[in-house]
Amino acid sequence: MRPNVVFLSLASDFGCQVQITNFPELLEMLGTFDLSYWQLATSAHMPSEYDIAVIEGACTTQEHVELLEKVRARAQVVIIVGACACTGGIPSLALNGDLEEGLHLVYGEAAEKVAWGHIPPRPIDAVIDVDFKVLGCPVNPDEFSSILQRALLGLVDNVHRETMCSSCKINENSCFYAQGKVCLGLVTAAGCESFCINRGRACTGCRGIAADANMKAAREFAAKYALEQEFLNGLEIYNSHAKGLVHDDSFC
Amino acid sequence: MTTLSVNHVARIEGHGDITVDVDEGVIKRITMDIVEPARIFESMVVGRTFDEAPLITSRICGICSANHAVTSILATENAFGIEVSERTKKLRELLVYGSYLQNHGTHLYILAAPDYVGLPSVFPLAETAPEIVKRALALKRLGNELCTLVGGRAVHPTTAVIGGFTSEPTRTELLSFGKRLEEAVRDAAATVELFGSFDIPRYETKSDMLSLVASDNYAIVEGEIHSLTHKWNRPVSDYRALMQEEVVSHSNSKHVMVDGKPFMTGAIARVNNSWDQLLPSARVVASKVGMRPVMKNPFYNNICQAIELVDAAERCAMLCYELADSNGSASPVEFKPRKAVGYGATEAPRGTLYHTLEYDRNGIVTAGDVITPTAQNLASLEADMRAFAPSILSLEHDEFILKIEQLVRAYDPCLSCAVH
Repeated sequence: MRPNVVFLSLASDFGCQVQITNFPELLEMLGTFDLSYWQLATSAHMPSEYDIAVIEGACTTQEHVELLEKVRARAQVVIIVGACACTGGIPSLALNGDLEEGLHLVYGEAAEKVAWGHIPPRPIDAVIDVDFKVLGCPVNPDEFSSILQRALLGLVDNVHRETMCSSCKINENSCFYAQGKVCLGLVTAAGCESFCINRGRACTGCRGIAADANMKAAREFAAKYALEQEFLNGLEIYNSHAKGLVHDDSFC
Repeated sequence: MTTLSVNHVARIEGHGDITVDVDEGVIKRITMDIVEPARIFESMVVGRTFDEAPLITSRICGICSANHAVTSILATENAFGIEVSERTKKLRELLVYGSYLQNHGTHLYILAAPDYVGLPSVFPLAETAPEIVKRALALKRLGNELCTLVGGRAVHPTTAVIGGFTSEPTRTELLSFGKRLEEAVRDAAATVELFGSFDIPRYETKSDMLSLVASDNYAIVEGEIHSLTHKWNRPVSDYRALMQEEVVSHSNSKHVMVDGKPFMTGAIARVNNSWDQLLPSARVVASKVGMRPVMKNPFYNNICQAIELVDAAERCAMLCYELADSNGSASPVEFKPRKAVGYGATEAPRGTLYHTLEYDRNGIVTAGDVITPTAQNLASLEADMRAFAPSILSLEHDEFILKIEQLVRAYDPCLSCAVH
């Protein structure tokens, strides 16, 4: 029987799903599995049985926690896609201020009424075990497709452990620090072929902190250019959930 | 009392439900409940630097990320008094139009069309009418590739920054794109004919229609706010004084009113308000299917999106040729942050998008405000649901719900934008 795939979305901008629909070959891949639930594209309801769950977005409500636990109990394979799901991403930026205060700033007196069930934003693997992560904001459709194929073929995840700087060297980009600009490639997980840097924009860290990142050395490097504080501030954008790790010198 | 509810309206961007309370054949309550969780972006930008603001706010929406990025950039440039090059302005226009081709192409064929042909999704359509799906995917792909050409990728442009672009398309790329866009005008015109041939419910909204207008252009990036009903024009910096945002109990999205009244924004508002600025080819195709101002049927929003596809494809082709044959640079210009408040507005595919950013003298955000098209449309959508529903109450339950959903989808709501 062909594997049954469902596509779910938590707190996000739907950008990863949009990015995936931009990949026409995915429609051809439909022959290898049944996409039985995808709210963005069809009005069919979520089935009770499925094999693979693909999940986008950060976990920001109690309802999300319950849904994730239910999905984990049913699915053989859980693939999480995008920065929101993998690192807490932009939704986790709310952790840098007081969450209650933030809700109050946006909704005023009505905050309690509209923002029911809110919990501090967190990545999905902080709630349930996951089998595959597709990093990035947004994800690269090719990378998604190759990871989905790995899942369909019963292979295990092959995560990039190295940092973006290695891709940059291969691509012969010059370093932003020499121009007095912060770049988060020093500690960010590789795998996008230094996409932004190739286009003249410094790395903003959307793929999260690499397993092999040397935070201490990176901070010292940034400090040499008097950019250590900017480096740490920049890391907050996609890695607020790992803030303890970023500021803890033992994380290396 | 019977409550009919649609849990999780499909084929719209985001999570939303519909609740209808009927008592002895009379509709007591009908609401569009936006259950998408709030991500509180306006609080998240506080304390961030000027270059981080557009990066963060563009993550409000994966569909109109180009609009959020450009609008945030415009607000910052307005605050710091930055003048950008003509080339930068043209490239921004192309970037925003890329999201039109992408969004309108996807919305019309994949999200809205199944309603008009009575199907649950586009997938069966791929078997029965492959040429239609092929046309949809071609338009969507062209939009994606246009965003990629200018912004580096289709979702979340990486090259658009305050003051300009970090990299630009080459002359060869622009020329070949111009040709492809010109060829797409035919597909776009066929889209107008297709949607013009559908059986469209008869209904007129009482809502006003607001969009940006400009005297010399079809206003997409910058312009003045225009009211269809009252004929006034207001500068973008007036939007917060003009619009009242209110929290409603059934929705995580605020509702937005002008003088306490609902209004529509989006393709139908733009086509009505900027009819004279449409390219002649778009006006001719529109007239052929009986579309001309004033259009007050919200279902026509879909046809207006198709009309915009014709206009956008031809306009973008001309922009590509102009950029290919002119000199100049879109490299970011030098600037200094200052303590100030700045306003930005663009026309996103779904309507006018407003951003305000307040900065301290070091260029750190002290306050932010975003009003999205969907938040503006929600009060009008609910008013239309209430007014339209009684005329279809005699339909079977499923048919009734389908028609209400069709109205919702005609508005092309984007719920992650709405709550942001």
